[in-house]
Amino acid sequence: MITAQQDHWLPWKADAAPTLDSRAPAKKSSVNLPDALVGGIVPLAVLFVWEVLARLEMLPPNWLPAPTVVAKTIYEMAAAGDLWKHVGITAARVALGFLLGASGGTLLGALTGYFPVARKLLDPLLQSLRSVPSIAWVPLFLLWLGIEESSKIALISLGAFFPVYLSLSVAMRHVDPKLLEVGQLYRLSSFEMVGRLILPAVLPEYIVGLRSGLGLAWMFVVAAELLGASRGIGYLMVDGQMTGRAAIILGSVLLFAVCGKTTDWMMSAAGAKLLGHRAR
Amino acid sequence: MEKAKGNELTPRGAPKKGALHIAIARKKFVGSQGSLTALRDISLRIRPGEFVCIVGGSGCGKTTLLRILAGLETQYEGSVFLDGRRIAGPDRNRGMVFQEHRLLPWLTVRENVAFGLSRLSPAERSGKVQHYLDLVGLRSFERQYPHQLSGGMSQRVAIARALAGRPEVLLLDEPFASLDALTRIRMQAELLQVWQAERSTVVLVTHDIEEAVYLADQVVVMSPQPGTIRNVLSVDLSRPRERTNHQFNRIRRAVLDELLAHALA
Ligand SMILES: Nc1ncnc2c1ncn2[C@@H]1O[C@H](COP(=O)(O)OP(=O)(O)OP(=O)(O)O)[C@@H](O)[C@H]1O
Ligand SMILES: [Mg+2]
Repeated sequence: MITAQQDHWLPWKADAAPTLDSRAPAKKSSVNLPDALVGGIVPLAVLFVWEVLARLEMLPPNWLPAPTVVAKTIYEMAAAGDLWKHVGITAARVALGFLLGASGGTLLGALTGYFPVARKLLDPLLQSLRSVPSIAWVPLFLLWLGIEESSKIALISLGAFFPVYLSLSVAMRHVDPKLLEVGQLYRLSSFEMVGRLILPAVLPEYIVGLRSGLGLAWMFVVAAELLGASRGIGYLMVDGQMTGRAAIILGSVLLFAVCGKTTDWMMSAAGAKLLGHRAR
Repeated sequence: MEKAKGNELTPRGAPKKGALHIAIARKKFVGSQGSLTALRDISLRIRPGEFVCIVGGSGCGKTTLLRILAGLETQYEGSVFLDGRRIAGPDRNRGMVFQEHRLLPWLTVRENVAFGLSRLSPAERSGKVQHYLDLVGLRSFERQYPHQLSGGMSQRVAIARALAGRPEVLLLDEPFASLDALTRIRMQAELLQVWQAERSTVVLVTHDIEEAVYLADQVVVMSPQPGTIRNVLSVDLSRPRERTNHQFNRIRRAVLDELLAHALA
């Protein structure tokens, strides 16, 4: 009844709407597109100057090779197949480390968020561990787990753990008590309380936690691979440094940026899908 | 909505369930800045199937009283009995509409109305949801999310959610406060209709004296500091009631006088 009213309420609105609609995007782009262009001017100029200086051999090529040389290096490695091997192993490390860290963060975050006793027992310890710079654990990990995969995965997991743990634990403690009362009113079991009220309520914060956990996983894979690896993008960097090929180092930086951005985008798209049309 | 008119006069058989016996000596809130007595010496008997309206100034403990009846407040001196059994916590035989709508933002309108119906089969559930959404005139909004609704629409969804549980005791905290005059009158008629069909006990808090006299068998007038019952007035008018009727206005005047008497005292 009310929709019908809104649809046919103002007949002239049907005419007005398209003009408004066709104007709105134009106006939007007239503001946003130049913004994007303006933002691109400096980087493009830098690339251009860099390219020209490198071509004129005013920059030592083993110190700062031209952007086209960097691109060509990446392309050649990709064509030879090496690149995919390194990207693959790094991505696998991130995936496994993130999975472990995020699972642990989810488990402990949910535990401390739901049970006050668990929070009182565990949170002080976890908070003090969090204040230790994670890289500081590396020697211990190496001692315990050796130089191979395990220590790398452990470091990445540690990076992914804290943002997930923190966001979930805090969000679960701050679910609107007024909504929890609705669950009480309908006599939900504690199981239903978690499934039907608490989890959906904390989902937005949890997704943010997962995203920053994933970001940190990428950060820590760089550290882990720089500290000693025989494969992976980080290894490429070390290799480039050892053999004095700056193009490989720069190319690896670029690869990290692209990979990190891609997974973040995938995660945020999955999150948006999960959150659906709800507000916030 | 039109069908509401027809049955309004049908007399109801006496329901056997939903008798409330309220005897609250004191309800205190203890906070960091000391304690506050929200309710004092509340003694009230509500017969099964009775429609009771509570009026009174802001802060006189109406919401607190309703929360005690719902079983959400259990720390107080005294006791409240429903059909002879002490109310110790919430139960599905009591439904509540809060002063705020309290819809779950991640559920659509229809999912919100279905929230308390998880024990029904999907077919039964969807039939009920549609019935009560029709009743509050929001069927066409069933796929919307709460943030897409106006305040009054959200409140109507909350009413549908409470009604869908078909409680023996229905507790409503200013349910029509955010509705426009026309929708309010329509919703009042619908509520009477549901009440007569289900023969539930209804306790409704309102600031609107006319609404109280229009709906209630008994109007409970409360006064603040500490919140207590000032008087209980019976409304012996047959339904449907005529808001412009002389008798109606006489009772309305009496309720107003009770409220004013305290304010001026
Ligand atoms: N959880 C609480 N903690 C402390 N004090 C409270 C709490 N809830 C209510 N009060 C106090 O109890 C008194 C009664 O509050 P209540 O919400 O029952 O009033 P009300 O009659 O519903 O008012 P209104 O008409 O404004 O909704 C108020 O003085 C209020 O400050
Ligand atoms: Mg109130």
